Amino acid sequence: MRKKVMALALTTAMAVSLAACGGGGQTAGTTAAPGTTAADNQGGDAQPAGDGSGLVYWSMWEATEPQGQAIQAAVEQFTADTGISVDLQFKGRTGIREGLQPALDAGTNIDLFDEDIDRVNTTWGQYLMDLEDLAKGADYEATANAGLIAACREVGGGTLKSIPYQPNVFAFFYNQSIFDEVGITAAPTTWAELDAACAKIKEAGYTPITCDDAYITCMFGYHMSRLVGEPKTEEIVKGGQWDDPSVIATAEAYADFASKGYFSDTIASNVWPAGQNQELAMGTAAMYLNGSWLPNEVKDMAGDDFVWGCFSYPAVEGGTDGVDAANYGAQVLAINKDSQNAENAFKLICYITQGEFDKMLSELSIGIPADSNNSEWPELIACVKPVMDSMTTRYPWAAGAEANADMTPIIKENFLKLCGGSMDAQGFVDALKKAGN
Amino acid sequence: MKRNRGMIILFLTPAVLMFSIIFLYPIIRTIIMSFFKIDGITDPVANWQFTGLSNFIRLANTSLFRISMWNLFRIWLIGGIIVMSLALLFAVVITSGIRFKSFFRAVIYLPNIVSAVALATMWLQYVYSPKFGLLKTVFTNLGLTSLAKVQWLDNDHKFLALLLAYCFGMVGYHMLIFASGIERISSDYFEAATLDGANKVNQFRYITLPLLKGVFKTNITMWSVTSVGFFVWSQLFSTVTADTQTITPMVYMYMQIFGAGNSITERNSGLGAAIGVLLSVCVVAVFWLCNHLLRDDDLEF
Repeated sequence: MRKKVMALALTTAMAVSLAACGGGGQTAGTTAAPGTTAADNQGGDAQPAGDGSGLVYWSMWEATEPQGQAIQAAVEQFTADTGISVDLQFKGRTGIREGLQPALDAGTNIDLFDEDIDRVNTTWGQYLMDLEDLAKGADYEATANAGLIAACREVGGGTLKSIPYQPNVFAFFYNQSIFDEVGITAAPTTWAELDAACAKIKEAGYTPITCDDAYITCMFGYHMSRLVGEPKTEEIVKGGQWDDPSVIATAEAYADFASKGYFSDTIASNVWPAGQNQELAMGTAAMYLNGSWLPNEVKDMAGDDFVWGCFSYPAVEGGTDGVDAANYGAQVLAINKDSQNAENAFKLICYITQGEFDKMLSELSIGIPADSNNSEWPELIACVKPVMDSMTTRYPWAAGAEANADMTPIIKENFLKLCGGSMDAQGFVDALKKAGN
Repeated sequence: MKRNRGMIILFLTPAVLMFSIIFLYPIIRTIIMSFFKIDGITDPVANWQFTGLSNFIRLANTSLFRISMWNLFRIWLIGGIIVMSLALLFAVVITSGIRFKSFFRAVIYLPNIVSAVALATMWLQYVYSPKFGLLKTVFTNLGLTSLAKVQWLDNDHKFLALLLAYCFGMVGYHMLIFASGIERISSDYFEAATLDGANKVNQFRYITLPLLKGVFKTNITMWSVTSVGFFVWSQLFSTVTADTQTITPMVYMYMQIFGAGNSITERNSGLGAAIGVLLSVCVVAVFWLCNHLLRDDDLEF
């Protein structure tokens, strides 16, 4: 009998300890409203979203990043002002990409979350609440960036399901001092002007254009989209239509630049961030096609005296798209369609994306403000404003060049070879055709 | 001995239950998933579309997946030969009675306790840098100008660069396993062989190697399992978008399940599951081959 009792006790202890191992979630920061306890803020798994005691917010940032710090500050102020507690969980990029959908499927209590505009609206579109009424009620659009709100509606299937913050645009960033030194007075708007600018820069002993492996397909996508438009580019990439004349035309344009020595000698071997850090920021290369986050990423290396310039990818002769088209977008905040706290969640979104905290986010991350009242942009990216303001057509990431996951590494490999000068235009097309898919 | 059925059931049930939930259920679910088209990994079963063997057929017809399998094979075979050879050599040296044994052992094992991110950054941004890299400096100082000009991270050399960096970190781990295997062999055998006039090479050939068969089996199996799971180094050598020289089936699987790079691409967790099934078959095949080729049950020591 004693043995049985002992065995039962041991088994129970084992089961309890195993169960205990399985508990616990990752909570980076919880702001408790006055009078509430930590227990109130715990979003229990497998419960309907929103239990009335507060908000649960999953963010794509890390708590230590500038964006995370600004969001944390906004959340704290929100809690202090409203008395609503917020369980703010910084999941990081990988954490949210891998974990959000399984968590929502399991019924985890998450009221709002953030990520890239396309991923939120496309991949997680089925979990989003329609925000049209909430936005109307708060007169949100009075101070919002109209272009970005339109972009959110477009990717949301015609209705507003997400609110943009920290906008960005993908364009050519350049070293203004090099442009001034070699006598380039206006940023290139056509491929021929870019050619002429590169020739001057090259002659002065600088590398006109550099890039890294992580972004090289963007140059291919942009050129293709300038020629035939983004939807057609995506069609070619997805359908393997490598015989389309735009493909060889793009390859020839880049082979021409490569033969003229316009690209970095090490472009074929630049693994991110070698090109942006060791060439552009160090002042040996003049231009880099990248996002508006670039000045922030390299600011410590570039130094205070680095003057940034920005221009949209040039138009090409006979092409369908002009300089008013680019990959621009934002991170967006969205509300879980099952949330019982939608109004409060939207209030928090307003705190983060408007006024003081939008400004703070912009200043800390050297990013573009989302609130049109915050008209003063950080000095480092002031050059981006005219480009951003001129956009009318939105490309997705890499202007469609990465729409086919099975082809992206193959395009990347061969475009690097093309820019590095070890492959000619026909070789590039042949390599894509050989890869199939 | 009196058998107490109740007691056996009581003690076994938690273990069997845990095994079933943690191991058996995911294995069976993954195998079933591999025959379906599934968008999100946690989509309800009602949303799964049965596609038969089409996931496997699609994998066979996708050049990028074939490239990833080829990369995996090269990592396993070439990397395996490099790592096993060096690990065995170092293990023999470490156990040969040299001075400062613990120090050398710690130094060789050190890369294992450094974060892969830090190691990869060192290799990518310093050792292989075509501007101021370690290799460039060393070859320039040796007067080997053609080698100094090599761009180690271009498409022609990236696989080699990745392999060297990875092997550098893996030698210490396998060396420890070999060393513990060698230390298990009684010194009596070596003393007897020395008295019989066998030199060190013959002792290694006829005593150490045969008695290490079991350890070899363990090392090869461990190497195979870690190679199949090759992911982090591949990601670090090609951030954001995958690369033809560094992509492995695990990276391809990730792209299929969670999307590739920054673009919104088609997802198919069923295809990811099919890759998982294929990789498991590879590991089982290697394990089976090892068991048949490296029989050590005829030796007792």
